[in-house]
Amino acid sequence: MIKLENVYKSFGKLEVLKNINLEVAKGDVVCIIGPSGSGKSTLLRCLNHLERITEGRTIIDGELIDEKIKGKDSLKISSKKVASICAELGMVFQRFNLFPHLTALENIIEAPFTVKKVTKETAIEQGTVLLKKVGLEDKRDEYPSRLSGGQQQRVAIARALAMNPKIMLFDEPTSALDPELVGEVLEVMKQLARDGMTMLVVTHEMGFAREVANRVIFMDKGEILEDSSPEEIFSNPKHERTKLFLQKIL
Amino acid sequence: MGFQKIIIAMPALLQGAGLTILLTLVSIFFGLILGLLLALGRLSKNVFFDRLSQFYIWLFRGTPLLLQIFFIYYALPTFTPITIDALPAAFIALSLNSGAYLAEIIRAAIQSIDKGQMEASKALGMSFTQAMRRIIIPQSYRRLIPPTGNEFIALLKDSSLVSIIAMTELMRTTSLLANSSGNAIYYIPCAILYLAMTTIFTFVFGKLEKKYSVYE
Repeated sequence: MIKLENVYKSFGKLEVLKNINLEVAKGDVVCIIGPSGSGKSTLLRCLNHLERITEGRTIIDGELIDEKIKGKDSLKISSKKVASICAELGMVFQRFNLFPHLTALENIIEAPFTVKKVTKETAIEQGTVLLKKVGLEDKRDEYPSRLSGGQQQRVAIARALAMNPKIMLFDEPTSALDPELVGEVLEVMKQLARDGMTMLVVTHEMGFAREVANRVIFMDKGEILEDSSPEEIFSNPKHERTKLFLQKIL
Repeated sequence: MGFQKIIIAMPALLQGAGLTILLTLVSIFFGLILGLLLALGRLSKNVFFDRLSQFYIWLFRGTPLLLQIFFIYYALPTFTPITIDALPAAFIALSLNSGAYLAEIIRAAIQSIDKGQMEASKALGMSFTQAMRRIIIPQSYRRLIPPTGNEFIALLKDSSLVSIIAMTELMRTTSLLANSSGNAIYYIPCAILYLAMTTIFTFVFGKLEKKYSVYE
């Protein structure tokens, strides 16, 4: 589903991703862990063109969507094509990024309506189903400012799902939440994983990683240092830096 | 006795005030359209549009409105075949001038919207135009309203400058009355009318701001 080949990304002189090679298969639930500034979020953002890589190739669902060779753009794809591929990747942000001027339901139906051009009736019907799925059908007409952080994040997940994505990207989805609200969001994510969604989750929730992920990736200083099963990584980390990180966080 | 003079002059003063309002409304309308285009130019990645907008704003904010009015009405016909009547010249000068100020107001309002909004829109597959039209610009309305209200009121008062090209709006009507009668009493109703107009529009802008804040 996702393939990264020799991907590099730098912001000016700062190298954020170094020689990333990664493959994610359909149905995989991959958790990416690591200290802040290790490039985890940037990795996700490179997948849906929120950032552009500086070297290497990214392939989504068999389609080459970004290619830089020696820093040169060697691939010309239309911005329309980019948008249509980005729409296959649902993204959930740390700060939710709900549209504050729209109600919960309007947030969810906005993209199907404007991008996919489905009729308003169909969009509302699907949106209502999604709200039910995240347990918020009674909040459909509330504005985001009237919802708790956990509720906002669940609406944001429903909003991403409304585009029928093949892959869901989660960028620290619970980091901005009060501790007592984390559970409700993780519950929705667990349900998604059980339904067979391919997921890439940047997280500090080790319990979630242990329970739901079938792969855990440890990143540090822009590199992938370990990529194995949760059992393996949590009980028998190979790399010194993984050990240090886990000691601090567990 | 002064009071009676004012009553008699009232229709003329109200007519002048009517023209003042017309000048302000028309100019703010075209100024907003022009301002939006200039603001999008300033925000555009295209260097040409950015520079063009910058140049425009530099030119029209950097010279007095009075000069712009003179230029369009008196100077233009002397070296171009273009002759513009006083009323359209007044509309054009005020619109072009307010466009420059509104451009910066609109640009600031759009830029103040959280970056995450554009990212979320893109992640959902929206194009830049769709995101602007459906997500970013609607959110900027609320932040736009207070400074636009300011600009509106400034424009309402600045419209008195077009009296220089013989537009009988409120200010000119008043001076004509005062000069012909040698009685300065007319400046009092003039001030009251200006205050009445600015009060009404302040109220309208307050209402608008509330309307666009429902979601906060």
